[in-house]
Amino acid sequence: MGNTKSSKDDPAAYPALGTALLWLDNRRNVDYVVYGLYIICAGLFLADFLYHKHVYLAVEEVPGFYAIYGFVMCAALVICAKGMRVLLKRPEDYYSPKDVESEDHPVEQLEKAENDG
Amino acid sequence: MVDSIPVAFLFFGAALALFAVPQGRVRSVVMLAVPLAAALHVWSLPAGDLGQVEFFGYSLELMRVDKLSRVFALIFCLAAFLGNLYAWHVRDMVQLVAALVYAGSAIGAVFAGDLITLFFYWEGTAIASVFLIWARRTEGAYHTGMRYLVIQIGSGVILLAGAILYHGETGNFAFEKMTLGSPATWLIFLSFGIKCAFPLLHNWLQDSYPAGTVTGTVILSAFTTKLAVYALARGFAGTEILIYIGAIMTLFPIFFAVIENDLRRVLAYSLNNQLGFMVVGVGIGTELSLNGTAAHAFAHILYKALLFMSVGAVLFRTGTAKGSELGGLYKTMPLTMIFCVVGAASISAFPLFSGFISKSLIMSAASHEGYYVVWAILLFASAGVFHHSGIKIPYFAFFAHDSGLRPKEAPFHMLLAMGITAFLCIAIGVYPAPLYALLPYEVDYAPYTTTHVVTQLQLLFFSALAFTVLMRTGIYPPELKSVNLDTDWLYRRFMPDLLGTLSAALGRVWSAQAAVVQRRITRVVSRLHHSTGPEGRISQTWPTGAMVLWIAILLAVTLIVNFVGQRL
Repeated sequence: MGNTKSSKDDPAAYPALGTALLWLDNRRNVDYVVYGLYIICAGLFLADFLYHKHVYLAVEEVPGFYAIYGFVMCAALVICAKGMRVLLKRPEDYYSPKDVESEDHPVEQLEKAENDG
Repeated sequence: MVDSIPVAFLFFGAALALFAVPQGRVRSVVMLAVPLAAALHVWSLPAGDLGQVEFFGYSLELMRVDKLSRVFALIFCLAAFLGNLYAWHVRDMVQLVAALVYAGSAIGAVFAGDLITLFFYWEGTAIASVFLIWARRTEGAYHTGMRYLVIQIGSGVILLAGAILYHGETGNFAFEKMTLGSPATWLIFLSFGIKCAFPLLHNWLQDSYPAGTVTGTVILSAFTTKLAVYALARGFAGTEILIYIGAIMTLFPIFFAVIENDLRRVLAYSLNNQLGFMVVGVGIGTELSLNGTAAHAFAHILYKALLFMSVGAVLFRTGTAKGSELGGLYKTMPLTMIFCVVGAASISAFPLFSGFISKSLIMSAASHEGYYVVWAILLFASAGVFHHSGIKIPYFAFFAHDSGLRPKEAPFHMLLAMGITAFLCIAIGVYPAPLYALLPYEVDYAPYTTTHVVTQLQLLFFSALAFTVLMRTGIYPPELKSVNLDTDWLYRRFMPDLLGTLSAALGRVWSAQAAVVQRRITRVVSRLHHSTGPEGRISQTWPTGAMVLWIAILLAVTLIVNFVGQRL
């Protein structure tokens, strides 16, 4: 694709906001984010017992219905989609040259620039 | 007087005037001033039929202003402004003129009060928009644009056929609410359906939008499909089949979006999914659901443009929009990342973001009217859209594995366009009253109830949990350099291959039977030659006198026949 890794990877030259987010580069910090997500999810599940739901459908009254539905359906979605790949995946140049998938974006229409602080 | 001038003409006039304006920033200023002026004009228009003209003995209605057409026209003006601001750097006249004519046609179509006017603007959007794809100026873009154009023009031709039949049935061309049943209404319905990317008619969208230029795709994403949603809302509100069509539309694109590599195509799939919500709203046809459709179209145009802008900015700086090539860009493009996340939160309908206050109108309408299965599908689709648009787009572009790319932050005008759009997404989510006031019917709906906020957060956070778990266990399918077959395979591969095979087979049969005939003729000739040729047995024994005798007999017969013939 003509992407070359930057020769000047200098964290000091990143925008301030980018530097501030650099702690995400550390795997352990990502773990903390994930633990945070677990805690939020647990809290939201338990929240269902703390208030009176105003709902229209009987199924909505099941405690944690939305949580379970969201989790199960999303997992099913990804697994089905992964299965679809077996049938549907083709190489990138399958339709070439009659589509844009395997061609580079014309460089003159871009303004490629590397971060140099 | 000013009121009766169609808003579209403002755009067309500006497109012409652009040639007289010197190249450079002045042109860019014109590109921004026109949609702003148009928006002010639309805002100040009184309701009513403002612009009749006579056309071959028919009265055409160019300016039907009511609340439904006004809200769509306003968001189209706003989208044109934001798209043109994002394209501030573009000096390519083809794209500038195309953007103006395209936006003008879409707005003109929204105000069209009859099917003939609608048809002209309908085709106008098709012809103008294809130049935003061709402007890429590559072989692939040329072919993709051709496919797009054939389908879009086809939709217009079907609309014209439907309009003519409709005139035969009713004696007029008025574009009002119709009831499905006659061939005319079915044709018009089909025409709208093609532009709205109904299931199995959808693939032009995912095929063409990723082929546009960086800025062209942002503009493409706003108009064509939402014009179709408007046309359905005007013509077919309350048509029950739309509920099921819409439900399927929300459902199947999310599967493709999960495995698609090109992030702009992922967005095209999720655009298709969001259109499904609007179509369901049209199908239910109550005041609540039609309000939902209009509100969702309004919010959707903004957050979808924002997502296309952020991915476009990545493409602009790195040369690619493919998930497999990107990652780790948050380090050097943090603002673009934040705007992308705002767009993602809006499309996912997080509380305080625009999708939350618009999609819930449609969801509530579905459950209030007793469409429980449809409601469950929409709920699944809501979780799914968060999964692929809300998480996948920002994650694979800006986080995930570090691609090593360190592009510069997007240029200022792009950041400004994204910033304004992001602000609007949040503003609408936090304070929906002004948007609700624009909707076609009175709104009696409170989106921010404890139940609604908590249940929505549960749905979204547990979808995020599913993503995280699948990602960390390695089950989540990685981004791969690949394309996935969709229905376009039928007309891009299967039919050409089938025709090729058939013509090859026919050719073989033809040449085989020609060879047989040839052989037979050769055999007959060679036998005749053998028997009657110079060396043949028969000619050896024929005396010359026999020939003279036969000629004499022939003459005699001719004489007799002549004689008898005259006597009779």
